[in-house]
Amino acid sequence: MKFLRNTLDKLKPNFEKGGKLSFLHSVFDGMETFMFVPNHTTKTGSHIRDGIDLKRTMFMVVLALIPATLFGMWNEGYQYHLAMGQTASLFDNFLFGFLQSLPIIVVSYGVGLGLEFMFCQMKGHPINEGFLVSGLLIPLCLPPDIPLWMVAIATAFAVIVGKEIFGGTGMNVLNPALTARVFLYIAYPGEMSGDLVWVTGLKEGVGIVDGYSGATTLGLLAVGKEMTISSWDAFMGWIPGSMGETSALMCLIGGIFLIITGIGSWQIMLSTVLGALGMGMILNAVGGNVYYDFPAVNHLLIGGFAFGAIFMATDPVSAAQTARGKWIYGALIGILTVLIRVFNPAYPEGIMFAILLMNVFAPLVDYYVVKSNINRRLSRVKA
Amino acid sequence: MENLLNIFVRSIFIDNMIFAYFLGMCSYLAVSKKITTAIGLGMAVTFVLLMTVPLNWLAYNYIVKEGALTWLNNLGVSKEFADFSKVDLEVLKFIIFIAVVAAFVQLTEMAVEKLSPALYTALGIFLPLIAVNCSILGAALFLPGKEFTFGESAVYGLGSGLGWFLAVVALAAVREKLSYSDVPKPLRGLGITFITVGLMAFAFLSFSGFKLPFGN
Repeated sequence: MKFLRNTLDKLKPNFEKGGKLSFLHSVFDGMETFMFVPNHTTKTGSHIRDGIDLKRTMFMVVLALIPATLFGMWNEGYQYHLAMGQTASLFDNFLFGFLQSLPIIVVSYGVGLGLEFMFCQMKGHPINEGFLVSGLLIPLCLPPDIPLWMVAIATAFAVIVGKEIFGGTGMNVLNPALTARVFLYIAYPGEMSGDLVWVTGLKEGVGIVDGYSGATTLGLLAVGKEMTISSWDAFMGWIPGSMGETSALMCLIGGIFLIITGIGSWQIMLSTVLGALGMGMILNAVGGNVYYDFPAVNHLLIGGFAFGAIFMATDPVSAAQTARGKWIYGALIGILTVLIRVFNPAYPEGIMFAILLMNVFAPLVDYYVVKSNINRRLSRVKA
Repeated sequence: MENLLNIFVRSIFIDNMIFAYFLGMCSYLAVSKKITTAIGLGMAVTFVLLMTVPLNWLAYNYIVKEGALTWLNNLGVSKEFADFSKVDLEVLKFIIFIAVVAAFVQLTEMAVEKLSPALYTALGIFLPLIAVNCSILGAALFLPGKEFTFGESAVYGLGSGLGWFLAVVALAAVREKLSYSDVPKPLRGLGITFITVGLMAFAFLSFSGFKLPFGN
């Protein structure tokens, strides 16, 4: 630690005004404040300051994502070996998944952070680490076999069009990670949907055990077939799917962490779950085909629901900001997710579109919540 | 009844005038800076669509379509004088539709000026410009392909209008939020708005391909 501090102090003059490398000032500043909590103090007036700044906040979310990431790596190996009819140890499974997903994570972080640094340099802003979370969310919600250049394109699109041109971190309208995923989903549907993309190596079709199908529950339901796995499997997550989102349990652990640290909004998570449950129960009551009768609780376990509701819907920038707005926002996400899943055969997964759609309407929800508050208080004044 | 509900929901979300057809963009982009004016224009467009689509339906089915004028024969014009079942005025459809729309917008403008002068000044030039709002002519031009009944066309007009209304209010809310953003200079104003609309259309893609559980 001391050594790091000393090195930084020694390098600092080079980056300050007049120094040789002063044009890289924001990069240096970003690195320094990343490693050490800055001790800046305000000069005028009194402010209440907390040690937790944007970097610390973002890092908490990354920590919350760790269980899902590690499990996802193991599951990738597990599914691969299952498909090939081989048995492998826990470690082998993990190692396989680790090597498979590491390049995706590296590309996503490399491209994203590189662009972010570039924009900060151009604008002369300090670097803010909004991308720390998106950079991990993007690989976690993509299929394991996705070509790296697609990851790079999607990340670049999400960072530039989705975020930087709106003024950077904290100003984006849509969640950047979801923007990346939907961009890929629409631009390259072949790599992003179907039964073959969710398990590594399934596309090549070499050496696959007879009868093994990589179909996800969502994929089956979309063509009117029953779910073939138990709810327990779906909850634990040893099923084919995107890297980080198969296990509802691991997402739940991350979610509890986010709630305890006060970073994720429990209102949004709870209302999303309630919305989906409510809509699912209404459809159950109507009945008719497989999807209508699909137990409402299972909607919470399959696909990316848990992942989306916990990590993406709660994005503090693109979500609704007001207390009551959060409830409305979350509930509508839940309802829309189930509606899109059940009624839109073109898109088996509903949660990503539901969140994007509500991101678009979140400012409107906020506007009306604020307005109704003003009206209520005005009427109190008049009375 | 189910069919009406089907048309209604479909025209709001799935065939949204803005996000599915990109119709009516000029006033959509110009009058979406503030939520209050956006609501005003949205209501005006909804009202005009609700009224002009059925009117145009009448015009289409009783004047323009091939054989639509047969009622003249039935009224007593002798077939020797003119056989209207063979008359086809489809070529005039643009002129007739736009004339209906323009006349109706003129009436609306007079009514708004009388009833709500504040809204009238806020909407400014865009109220008369509703006459050339593509979504209104567009809705009328979609009619021949859709084979609606009169009631259905009214529901379609209302739904299309509400879809436009929803889109313009949502964009206005986003733009009010964006006014605090540090957008790169070359993109300020219309540029960033275009990109925002594109991203919103992204989200609205969730409805494309929707299979409604009622009607067909």
